Amino acid sequence: MSVLRERRVTSLALLLIAAALLSQTFGQSYSGLGAFSPMFFPQIVLGFWLFVATLDLGAELRQRHSMTRPRIVRVILIALACVTFLLLMTRIGFFLAAVPFSVFALLVLGLRTPVPIVLVGVGVPAALVALFNHLLKLPLPSSPWAWWF
Amino acid sequence: MIELLPQAAALIFTFEGIGVLLFGTILGIILGALPGIGSTVAVAMVLPFTLTMSQAPAILLLLAIYAGSVYGGSVSAILINTPGTPQSAATCLDGYPMAKRGEAGLALGWSTVASTIGGLTSAVVLLLAAPQLAALALNFGPIETFALILLGLTCIVSVSEGSLLKGLVAGSIGLFLGCVGGDPITGEARFTFGQFQLISGFNLLAVVIGVFALSEVLLRAAAKDDADHGLVSFSGIVLPPLSAWRGRVKGLVKSVAIGNGIGILPGTGAATAAFIAYAEAQRSSPNRKNFGKGEPDGLIASESANNAVTGGALVPTLALGIPGDAITAVMLATLTLHGVTPGIRLMADNPVLIAAIFSGFFVINLLLLPMGMLVAKGAAPLLRLREGYMLVLIVLLCAVGVYFVRGNPFDLMVMGVAGVLGFILRRQGMPMPPLVIGMVLGPTLEISLRQGLIITDGSFMAFFTGHPIALVLVICAGVMVCLPLIRAVRARLGLVHLHKG
Repeated sequence: MSVLRERRVTSLALLLIAAALLSQTFGQSYSGLGAFSPMFFPQIVLGFWLFVATLDLGAELRQRHSMTRPRIVRVILIALACVTFLLLMTRIGFFLAAVPFSVFALLVLGLRTPVPIVLVGVGVPAALVALFNHLLKLPLPSSPWAWWF
Repeated sequence: MIELLPQAAALIFTFEGIGVLLFGTILGIILGALPGIGSTVAVAMVLPFTLTMSQAPAILLLLAIYAGSVYGGSVSAILINTPGTPQSAATCLDGYPMAKRGEAGLALGWSTVASTIGGLTSAVVLLLAAPQLAALALNFGPIETFALILLGLTCIVSVSEGSLLKGLVAGSIGLFLGCVGGDPITGEARFTFGQFQLISGFNLLAVVIGVFALSEVLLRAAAKDDADHGLVSFSGIVLPPLSAWRGRVKGLVKSVAIGNGIGILPGTGAATAAFIAYAEAQRSSPNRKNFGKGEPDGLIASESANNAVTGGALVPTLALGIPGDAITAVMLATLTLHGVTPGIRLMADNPVLIAAIFSGFFVINLLLLPMGMLVAKGAAPLLRLREGYMLVLIVLLCAVGVYFVRGNPFDLMVMGVAGVLGFILRRQGMPMPPLVIGMVLGPTLEISLRQGLIITDGSFMAFFTGHPIALVLVICAGVMVCLPLIRAVRARLGLVHLHKG
């Protein structure tokens, strides 16, 4: 997908999201309550969102200039790694989730020297666990297998 | 305010108080010096760790990081020609040429002294101006509050660099995110889609960290060039002798005045102040021919102006609850998370805390000189660090920070999703400060609007007939919206003329 099309698709998606959310606010039991209605303010906000998103889509359709294409594979890999790390952090513990995430992210980000990768990939999570769990006594999520990490 | 200073001093000059001021200033300088982190990300990253602290030290720590990071940006600007923060972009123009000719220490000396003077004057402006503004705001009811928040929302226009439309879309998304959860009047759940965790709304901190810090990581991963900086030789800061200031004081005073004045205006920011002060110095300096080749007058102008903005920008943030730029929007969220509601009743409800904030801000700026001299030399080798290591560190610290707020896995997911959405929206050219401004100001806007309508029996026009202050504020809001539009139209017309010519 070209960068220009990417921007148009995003603009369209924002417009559709606003429209879908706005449609949710109608036909509820508290319609007609005016300022007392819980949907009174969201309707104003979503109406405005819909209006500016329409103008924005129009502007994007007229747009002709292009931007630099991102390293999309690298971004997807880093985003997936981040989300997986955040999901696993509270299940298998901070240390066990952070080490593979750090090593993987460093490799994806183009770092190839093994010693610093291992030092940062293992050392930084270990230092954070030591600092918060054992020094500051603010426990990070620990693994179900060992209390000290 | 002056009579509260002894009580404020008792809050600041404790072991914890002095510790956070020293630690915050040092950390701020280091984070500001690291390219890519910047003041906003620095404050957002440290914010969760302050939630277990008591109010005054927590807020002082974040203020120290704010002021320290603005100064810290000059270290990388001078040593590697890469501004650590956008505010330091003008510093590169003369700082790096000085460093290249072997005067890196002296260049940092000029920038340290100018930053300290700029910061100290801005602390005085904050101390004098904020209480006056807040005293005026004490007479506000729901209708005036609505008009004030509306005025606050207009700063979305000025922080939407590049595209006003995209800023408005981001602002609407922020306002909508503020609506998610229980209705403030009836308690009815809105837009929760069956997720009970959403009853209390989105965690503001998780969203702020996601859209600023995590999306920054993704944007940097997406960039084509991997930053790998060379460092000029540097063996420590050299303070300029007093005789070298001859003929430069007038320029310093002018730049400090520009910084303070611009700081108070919502939506202009330190980067604008630095460039305006630099342009003015270039126009009026006797050494104008040397600008861009390593002229200390240029360095003094940009550094004193960008640090002078810090206190000025806090005036509308604290007194009216109107953030001036991205960093004060995050500071606004910070205060809210610490149970302090900036705006109309802040000074009346928390006088000692506010006096402590003002005095602490003065002390922080005093600390910039010794801490800058101490830390800059130590921080210089960090500038050689490969970007990848820094990005991983940011993700780990953000995750730890958000987890500590409530220990809720759902907040971590909110941060992750906010990061990905922030990346997509920023790729779209959408600025993120309007989203945060909308999310922070939205709930107050809603309550004041609905209360106002209930008072006036549903008549919106009655908001202005019996409420002159509200009318003036709405007119100001209209002017704030129209001015950039007029400027944009004039610029476009000028461009058309240029093409025809």
